[in-house]
Amino acid sequence: MQDATISADDFQRFREYFYRRSGIQFEPSKRYFVDKRLAERIRATGCNGFRDYFAKLRFETSGAEWQALVNEMTVNETYFMREDYQFECLIQSMLPELMAHKRPGEPLRIWVMPSSSGEEAYTIAMFLLERWPHLAERDVEIVSSDIDTRILAQAQAGLYSQRAVHQLPASWLQKYFTREAGGWRICKMLRDAVAFTRVNLNDAAEVAAYRGFDVVFCRNLLIYFDDASRRQAAESFFDVLRPGGFICLGHSESMSRISSLFRIRKFPQAIVYQKPLEGL
Amino acid sequence: MNQTVKHILIVDDAATVRMYHRAILEEAGYAVTEAVNGVEALEKALDKAGAYDLYLVDVNMPQLDGFGFLRALRAQDGPQAPAIMVSTEAEDGDRRQAFGAGANHYLVKPARPQQLLRSVGLLLGERGERA
Repeated sequence: MQDATISADDFQRFREYFYRRSGIQFEPSKRYFVDKRLAERIRATGCNGFRDYFAKLRFETSGAEWQALVNEMTVNETYFMREDYQFECLIQSMLPELMAHKRPGEPLRIWVMPSSSGEEAYTIAMFLLERWPHLAERDVEIVSSDIDTRILAQAQAGLYSQRAVHQLPASWLQKYFTREAGGWRICKMLRDAVAFTRVNLNDAAEVAAYRGFDVVFCRNLLIYFDDASRRQAAESFFDVLRPGGFICLGHSESMSRISSLFRIRKFPQAIVYQKPLEGL
Repeated sequence: MNQTVKHILIVDDAATVRMYHRAILEEAGYAVTEAVNGVEALEKALDKAGAYDLYLVDVNMPQLDGFGFLRALRAQDGPQAPAIMVSTEAEDGDRRQAFGAGANHYLVKPARPQQLLRSVGLLLGERGERA
């Protein structure tokens, strides 16, 4: 019989280790959530208790168990049209401003980080298709990234439950999805319109490839980070954006409390943050 | 633009697919090396650390398939180049395995030239350089 009990000391050691490697900080109040998932991984790997598992996690060279654990620990709760006022803001306020500074032929680039199961990136694609009159004359690139490899495969497959699509206008659901046995499958055109990639935001070398974006959506991720990681993430996003580019956070998050690199912009639809234009 | 030419390793057992990808990538200014299976790819990748800036990897190959190649590659220490996995199957299971094995991106074959170059450019960090 394996003992998957996790003591307070174990939790503390694990928490520090997980933070160092991922940048994600679990508050003591998340103990039950963490313990439950740790116990699942201890069982799944056949390890003899926490110590055995923790040693495996630290010393394995392949990184396979680390990835499996990250997949368990990350929260992937979202749905289409969630906090849709930000997409309204994108269409009505951010894009007109961005376009004023863009040369013809220069692409519009949007990064969704974290991707989760893809609802946000696909919602943005649908908003652009349905609501943005300049789509025909502008090359648009939507990149959606996550640290969780399992959720990326799910995102790219594009199969969703009724719950995930419940806020979508019926006409969009009809137009862009087909009913399948397992739920609603998003159409190939939209699946091809979004590039899903695996990225660890905490790994500067990986993030270095992500440059020149006009808009970043980073919603409800920084709430899982501690102050130092938040600041580091803000600096990463600053480098990811072009001058004048925007970053959108979740409704409970505020960039002003994290970093002074960005200007706060209060648009009628939403509050977002902007990397200052050069020379201003 | 980058000063140095980026080097891509194409790993595919089908000669026609290698030719197709090579033509697109060379036309775009990349240097290309080919490997016909995972074993050869691994030898080439480990022979000189940092020789390749990106891997373009097929799933089904004799001796060592694309998943096996990526797992072995990702088990190495040191910085790692990004990998795109290319497969004819749009199977959900393939995709899960690809990301799980260490791919950064997944494309369904045949990828259109524009789509392939977009993905390659994205992972090499070249897409934002035109600003």
